[in-house]
Amino acid sequence: MMLLPCPWCGPRNASEFRYVGETGPRPDPTTATPEQWRRHLYFHANPRGWVRESWYHRAGCRRYFAAERHTATNEVRSSGGHS
Amino acid sequence: MTQGSTATATGAAMRLGPQPGEVIDRNRTIEFRWNGRAYQAHPGDTIISALAAAGERVFSRSYKYHRPRGLLTADFLDPGCQLQVGDEPNVRAAHRLVEAGMDVRSQNTWPSLKFDVKAVNGLAGRFLATGFYYKTFIKPERLWPAYERVLRKFVHAGEVSPDTEHGYYDKRYAHPDVLVTGGGPAGMAAAVAAARAGARVLLVEEEHHLGGHLRWGDDTARAVRAELAEQVRSEPGIEVLTDSVVVGRYDDNWIGVMQRNLPHVVERLVKVRAKSLVVAPGLVERPYVFTGNDLPGVMLSTAARRLINLYAVKPGERAVVLSANPEGDAAVADLQRAGVEIAAVADARRGQRVVRARGRGGVQSVELADGSRIDCDLLVTAVGWTAPTSLLNMAGARPVYRPEVARFVPDPAHTPDGVLAVGGIAGDGTLDQLREHADAVGREAARRAAQLAHRLHGALPTRPRDAAPQPAPVTDPVPIPELPLAEHPELFFSTHGFVDFSEDVSSKDLVTAVKEGYDSVELVKRYTTATMGPAQGKLETVNTVAIVAAATGRSIAETGTTTWRPMYAPVTLGALAGRSFEPIRHSPMQPWHERHGATPLVAGQWIRPEHYGDPAAEVRTVRSGVGIIDVTPIGKLDLRGPDVAKLLNLLYVNKWSKLDIGRVRYGVMCADDGVVLDDGVTGRLGDDHYLMSTTSSGAATVWEWVENWLQTEHPDWQVHVTPVTTAYASINVAGPRSRELLGRLTEGVDLRPEAFGYMNVRTGTVAGVQDCVLWRIGFTGELSYEIHLPASYGLHVWERLIETGADLGVVPFGVEAQRILRLEKGHFIVGQDTDGLTQGYTAGLGSLIKLDKADFVGKPELAWQAERGGYPQLVGLLPVDGDVVPPEASQIITGGGHIAGRITSSRMSPTLGRAICLGQVDSGLAEAGTRVTVRLPDGRDVEAVITAHHAQVDPEGERQRV
Amino acid sequence: MSSSNNGTGNRNGSRNGHRPLRRGRRYSAWSLLQHGLSGADWPVTFRSHPKRDSYDVVIVGGGVHGLATAYYLAANHGIRNVAVLEKSYIGSGGSGRNTAILRSNYLTPEGVRFYDRSVKLYEHLAAELNFNVMFSQRGHLTLAHNDASLRTMRWRTEVNKLQGVDSEVIGPDEVKKLVPYLDTSSTTRYPVLGALYHPPGGIIRHDAVVWGYARGADAHGVHIHQKTEVVGIDVEGGRVTGVRTDDGHRIATPVVVNCTAGWSTLISDMAGVSMPVQTFPLQAAVTEPVKPFLDTVIVSGTLHVYVSQTDRGELVFGASVDPFASYSTRGSLEFAEGVAGHVLELMPALSKMRLLRQWAGLCDMTPDYSPIMGPTPVGGFYVDVGWGTYGFKAGPVSGEAMADCIANERPPEIISAFGLDRFEAGRLVGEKGAAAVGH
Repeated sequence: MMLLPCPWCGPRNASEFRYVGETGPRPDPTTATPEQWRRHLYFHANPRGWVRESWYHRAGCRRYFAAERHTATNEVRSSGGHS
Repeated sequence: MTQGSTATATGAAMRLGPQPGEVIDRNRTIEFRWNGRAYQAHPGDTIISALAAAGERVFSRSYKYHRPRGLLTADFLDPGCQLQVGDEPNVRAAHRLVEAGMDVRSQNTWPSLKFDVKAVNGLAGRFLATGFYYKTFIKPERLWPAYERVLRKFVHAGEVSPDTEHGYYDKRYAHPDVLVTGGGPAGMAAAVAAARAGARVLLVEEEHHLGGHLRWGDDTARAVRAELAEQVRSEPGIEVLTDSVVVGRYDDNWIGVMQRNLPHVVERLVKVRAKSLVVAPGLVERPYVFTGNDLPGVMLSTAARRLINLYAVKPGERAVVLSANPEGDAAVADLQRAGVEIAAVADARRGQRVVRARGRGGVQSVELADGSRIDCDLLVTAVGWTAPTSLLNMAGARPVYRPEVARFVPDPAHTPDGVLAVGGIAGDGTLDQLREHADAVGREAARRAAQLAHRLHGALPTRPRDAAPQPAPVTDPVPIPELPLAEHPELFFSTHGFVDFSEDVSSKDLVTAVKEGYDSVELVKRYTTATMGPAQGKLETVNTVAIVAAATGRSIAETGTTTWRPMYAPVTLGALAGRSFEPIRHSPMQPWHERHGATPLVAGQWIRPEHYGDPAAEVRTVRSGVGIIDVTPIGKLDLRGPDVAKLLNLLYVNKWSKLDIGRVRYGVMCADDGVVLDDGVTGRLGDDHYLMSTTSSGAATVWEWVENWLQTEHPDWQVHVTPVTTAYASINVAGPRSRELLGRLTEGVDLRPEAFGYMNVRTGTVAGVQDCVLWRIGFTGELSYEIHLPASYGLHVWERLIETGADLGVVPFGVEAQRILRLEKGHFIVGQDTDGLTQGYTAGLGSLIKLDKADFVGKPELAWQAERGGYPQLVGLLPVDGDVVPPEASQIITGGGHIAGRITSSRMSPTLGRAICLGQVDSGLAEAGTRVTVRLPDGRDVEAVITAHHAQVDPEGERQRV
Repeated sequence: MSSSNNGTGNRNGSRNGHRPLRRGRRYSAWSLLQHGLSGADWPVTFRSHPKRDSYDVVIVGGGVHGLATAYYLAANHGIRNVAVLEKSYIGSGGSGRNTAILRSNYLTPEGVRFYDRSVKLYEHLAAELNFNVMFSQRGHLTLAHNDASLRTMRWRTEVNKLQGVDSEVIGPDEVKKLVPYLDTSSTTRYPVLGALYHPPGGIIRHDAVVWGYARGADAHGVHIHQKTEVVGIDVEGGRVTGVRTDDGHRIATPVVVNCTAGWSTLISDMAGVSMPVQTFPLQAAVTEPVKPFLDTVIVSGTLHVYVSQTDRGELVFGASVDPFASYSTRGSLEFAEGVAGHVLELMPALSKMRLLRQWAGLCDMTPDYSPIMGPTPVGGFYVDVGWGTYGFKAGPVSGEAMADCIANERPPEIISAFGLDRFEAGRLVGEKGAAAVGH
């Protein structure tokens, strides 16, 4: 089980967190076309490599934060700050 | 060779005199049963050593051909020594210690181990060829189920009893700096070095004692063992687990250790987060492939040496030894000392080979490559070693094959920082060289652990800023000496024989598979099942690779190995499961519910009263008098801050900017795809203070949802969220006489309708309990009050309500009555009347959704849904025959069985005396008055009429506003 | 591509009844006896060929989907100049890592029809391919531990029946008769309130399906190139023109079919087509064998576990996908702990059985738990991806439908709901409700 670097609690077992995943900026709801909106809802880069993603420290500080993870090795490097 | 009688316990025909390294306690004798007969053993004996001492040499029958099988490795891996012990199947009997009274039986033999009817399969072997199953039983198709039943009868294993109880299993966490797996000389030396360098060390040894191969070595070896064991014992930083095994290495050195020798615990799973892992499993001796290599009496040199030196058992009377290494030579010496006649030593280093063993039920003679034939009852082989690199592979390392040493060795360049290898798996050399290497690795493991600890500590943001920085640990890597690799001849096979003893797969099967086109080791493995048995390839993989390589004309290095996966050793389900911790949640009123005959209902983690005997009567009382229900599981979030209204406006589809203090409002949340997520009422308790309620099942989701929008989209908003679901007990007092009942117990709240109207909230004292929140809302459709009160007083207030309302005829009602009441009122339940694709307008929220708000979650999709039209709709339905309640999930169909909707909720209404429903229907059927056809589960079709409202009782809402 | 064949074919799958396996290559009891007596070698099951410079169709991925597509292209449509490119060995991905459970008791009519066709093809696959795939239709039970799941079981049952699929909701007593080892007492933490019983469901020998299709495709002239990784897809003027492989080949082709799982995003990216897919590991495990005692497949959605016993006596366990997206197939201890705990909740008597091995495969999850099949905005680039945790079940029907789609240059009716364009159009398929653990 990998360790995740919570910016508030330090490295903790991954089982303490809920995976949120890749998150992009929410399109402007007043101008987005259906296609743009649904690409935001449904499409992912899903790379095999480094990806910036959100986690929620459910069994800890209950903060959402972003981290960079390599999706093949599960190596994690903190990117700090909010998702 | 078996002797003795059924009358007395069978003795010790093959037991030797005392041996210097023996582990048995000769002063005591215990009895156990083997296939119904009594046998004797000494404490310290394994089941197999005791049986071998008694002269037994056949312990099982093989999978396909039911060939007799005996000792091969005399350790945990021994494929012929899996036995049933009591209700425990597949016990590794060459590892498991005998206990008094054990009932040991052979598996999969009928009618008996000695005479097994299915041995006739052996004669049919040429037809049970590779891929036999795939090539036969194809036609006629209808007979395949019958064939399959026969195949299943051949399963080669023990039995589980339906009466086995889930015994006591345990779990433990450990956080050592260094975990050393393997307590041989290298593992012990590494552990001592790491501990002396300041590390906390966990040393895990699979066998019952530390020492590894030193235990069956000569006087010098035993002396070194004693010295190292004493160093381990006297080092306070080392914890030793024997009869324990590392079963898997996972990301970031998360490691599973199975501890098997705790008293009163069947097995314990230790979950270890180690900063460094030192892999020291030693080497596994490899069997040799030749015709007859599975006959009882053919065994590995380590097996013979274990029997003699540890258990004082004579492995046979007259031996042939095939030796390619010093360990084989040492076996010759041991055998001679044990009084075994050495009929011949075939020295593989000088090109001698065994090509065949012959015998019925055991070896009777051996044929060498030079044509000579030697009578014997024991053939000992020492042809080389397999490095059990599983844990390294799990860590991402890729061991490479070195032909000059005839084994795979780890490639340090591809091993992660936190994993190091010592001992035989890393190389050869003298005992001193191995110790020197292990000493350096142990210190290096400790150094890396200290560095990691320093790094992790530095990553802790809660450390006070002004705290003095921890001094960095010594950073110079410890120089690790190279271990030499001893040259070894490549010896895998001479003639065709068994490669996988558990699966009854021969080298001929492998060659056939290659010829058929299954030409990679992975395909061969899957086609023949070689390496897929209980030893998981530790005995079989390298021989398999060698044979595939030979058959394909490729080198062993090119052929590669199959993937080693966890578990390193099999683990009981009980140990993995541990004690059963399945959390459940009860309200504070649960003791009352139990005393009053409530039928429990499992609702997620909550156990709630479904009813107290007669839900229909409960409904009638609520409609005519007063009832109370425990609604504690309703999700509750306390929201404070100046920006709560903004938050509510964002998350709910309706408007929240103008909610006065003392008012509550119903709201629905959708996700950004427009799908209904949750609903509930939220009340404003003060200027910046709100209490939000959610569905019971949605409580956790909504909490995270709220936090997500606040933290990631609007971190500038000032809202503080506290989940208070279980801080409050919640009771709904419902029915025309609810005001009267509550009035008797409430202080500080004016309950008169003009002072406390529908959809209002007040705080006050109920039954002497202060700080209760009272909502006047009506899920049941009646005048009702939902009280949220400090949880510790829940039972008190509940009991007071029951007592005080006795003359009003108050009754408790359960979830079932509430479901009926809400259905009569037409309130939908998220997740029942809606599903994963139900958008807001489908749920009938048209009048609630405010598309004129600047933004809210789900707005664009809802706007498009409204624009598009033609969506399915949630509707009320009345079956034309009011006595028929179409079960929930009955499908609404149109001509030709086309599905045009479904019943989502249905009940017999006690108030109306007829069946009522909610359902989702296609847009064309949604108009009031439309008659639809409902297909019942029993196949009948009934008619139902769409109604103008979801509510069938009091659609105007008069009753709840009084 | 053109073909005169239309419709969804006969009960055995291949429409023309053409038997490409020549005398001496067919398997039967007679041939087994002959080979046993003579000791003669068996013919090669599937051959290696040098790569051609061009193929009419290049299929990426040598699992059951890719091989079945190749087989039906050749067998049903006469398109034989086909290459299947597999980066490892055939069946090394999801086809060899799944828990080999087959069923058709889905929730939506389009899902039920599709998987029903798949089960029917599987029922006759051994005869069709002359290769025993050991389909054991032992029945499939989805347990309901609470009202909500019981309602979902009824929903599925009613939809199934309307599509002609054999499903029914049964009570705890009947469940106990089918699975005596199951704890059906009402006092357990997760009482068994009933089950969706689906008699045609069962298990199969998954590798045999792969080899059977490979052998059938090979006999029709399809080239199977193992250890050949696609590293690029050439697109000119909005159309596919060829693929490049890791051994330096460039293969010209007008049609590329992405039949990968776990890699579907990466392959589609090569053609410039983005995917509504996230890749998650799905883990499974197997115990040591014990004598057969479990005759049906058991699934519990609430406990996230499914169990079956193979003809070798092993119990095979599966669960839902891992909690976070990853391309790692290393597996986790948490999975083993969880699955063991949940199995013992259902069958406490198994505590002394031992877990032997765990593994993981990769699942491409889509937003609506339904696959993505058919053409893409890039001409000649087809996808058969997004199979989540249910791809193996759909192998035959997917191959049949994709072959039809390619030959006739339009998706057949049976996959019309599964197009890539549905996501931007907001026409999601409703399987999500039932598929939390759908095995």
